[in-house]
Amino acid sequence: MKREQGLWTKIGVRIPLVLWSLAVLYPIFWMILGAFKSNAEIYSNPWGLPESFSFANFFDAWSNYNIDISVFNSLIVTGLGALLTLVMAIPTAYALERLRFRGNRLLFTLYISAMMIPMVLGWIPLFFLLMQLNLLDNIFGLAIVYAVSQLPFSIFVLTSFMATIPKSLEEAAAIDGMSPYMILWKVVTPLSMTGIITVTIMNMIQFWNEYFMALIFLQSEENYTLALAIDYISNETQYTNSWGTLFASLVIAIVPVIILYAIFQRRIVKGMTEGAIKG
Amino acid sequence: MVQSKKQRYLFLAFCLVPTFLMFSVFTLYPLFNGLYYSFFQWSGASSAAEFIGLDNYRKLFSDEIIPATIWHDYFLVITKIIGIMILSTFFAVALTQMKIKEAPFYRIVFFFPNIMSVVVIGILWMFIYNPSLGLVNSGLEFLGLEGWTKAWLGNENWALPSLVLPSVWAGIGLFMLMLMGGISNISKSYYEAAEIDGATGWQQFWKITLPLVWPQIKISILYIIITTLNGSFIIVQVMTKGGPNNATHVMGSYLYEEAFVKYNFGYGATIGVMILVLSLITVLIMQYFMRREKVEY
Repeated sequence: MKREQGLWTKIGVRIPLVLWSLAVLYPIFWMILGAFKSNAEIYSNPWGLPESFSFANFFDAWSNYNIDISVFNSLIVTGLGALLTLVMAIPTAYALERLRFRGNRLLFTLYISAMMIPMVLGWIPLFFLLMQLNLLDNIFGLAIVYAVSQLPFSIFVLTSFMATIPKSLEEAAAIDGMSPYMILWKVVTPLSMTGIITVTIMNMIQFWNEYFMALIFLQSEENYTLALAIDYISNETQYTNSWGTLFASLVIAIVPVIILYAIFQRRIVKGMTEGAIKG
Repeated sequence: MVQSKKQRYLFLAFCLVPTFLMFSVFTLYPLFNGLYYSFFQWSGASSAAEFIGLDNYRKLFSDEIIPATIWHDYFLVITKIIGIMILSTFFAVALTQMKIKEAPFYRIVFFFPNIMSVVVIGILWMFIYNPSLGLVNSGLEFLGLEGWTKAWLGNENWALPSLVLPSVWAGIGLFMLMLMGGISNISKSYYEAAEIDGATGWQQFWKITLPLVWPQIKISILYIIITTLNGSFIIVQVMTKGGPNNATHVMGSYLYEEAFVKYNFGYGATIGVMILVLSLITVLIMQYFMRREKVEY
């Protein structure tokens, strides 16, 4: 635009931007600072800087509230869930994108429309299904449920990514006598790595953050994922008022996400906006 | 390719069948089974399921809490659409067309809450709304508005509106980026032509930007509807558990309470069917109303 922007326009447009940045950052910073404050300090000076940095809250969360076990459970569920999603999604995405067969469009539509269906209805039967399979209150059962729940999104992103890979490399490999299984494993998978990484980061964040399915499908405390453990501490805090411990556990939950965001910011943004645009 | 037909089918089956089996068992079967359960009275033990026909649906229509939960869900849908679309459109236009040097900073910051766990967002906002320590009441006192302070989440009239802010706070970034993607695809020549014709910035926004990013706006609104109707219960469960006195119960949190707290699984499934039907109808209706001739200049 060629129009000269006056000083007032420049300032005026920045006021809402700066205010919103503060609205986003201040609570997050304040939560991190709160994790280092003593409870007395949180009460006397809730919104200021801590007088001294103390790790007591982290020790309390770690040892008295068994956050260590929850972190471990969350890591297992996140890692296993993400791996399982890939194992299921890559071959299907490849078949849907490259192989001709009857019902190709139909199957693709079925997977994609599952993204728009509210799954709450399915959670009641799923609860009993997992019970029959001895997978209720079991982090491996939860990992399977997570993996299947992210299948539609993963297939969607992977097919659109595989569509951009030139076919000539697969054809050359086939002429060299490579079996289709080897082509999928040795040619297509490495070439799709960018898409695979995007999908995996998105799924990992999703699984790490997930709360409601864990609430329904896990019951005993030793199987709690981090989200459940935090919710548990939060409910306790109403009686114990140990806000510091609660903040410390929130920080433990958010730090891996901040790190992933710092490294993969572009991919995460791209993955999420594309995932939403399927409409 | 030198492949026999049999080998070809074998490979196709290898690619599709295991995944589809898992998808059927853990997604399709539970959905249809949920529909089936909605005709049963059932408290969990498999032998005790009793077929009661449409009784659950009769109960659904006479249940006094149900209309409230539906209203709460749509209240969240409408307020979130208004809040998110106005703010994210403003931010998207500002960041793409105002030549702001530090634009990447805002983009990174505004998006971050989108990848935070709802649990973390919910608990953070519970503290922000905390009656004695929270930022909202402290801020009001600081401004000399002591009369306005209240226990936001404990107040029957204010608890539901209080849930809107965290949702908007967490949602802005994604929609802003979707709109920015749309705006950056608009050819600069339209704006240059409008400039020559003497159109003001405001006119340019209404006549060029808005019509040309309409597809993105439409997708954003549909996405807000779907994610709210399918997921509003998560923030409700974390922040208020449906309380005080059912003032924040949405359809999903009511389902959770009926099925997994009171063990009325059949009735819970009936609520689930209602959620499914209502969200499909809403999406179809919105799609009809937002259809618009594709604008091309």
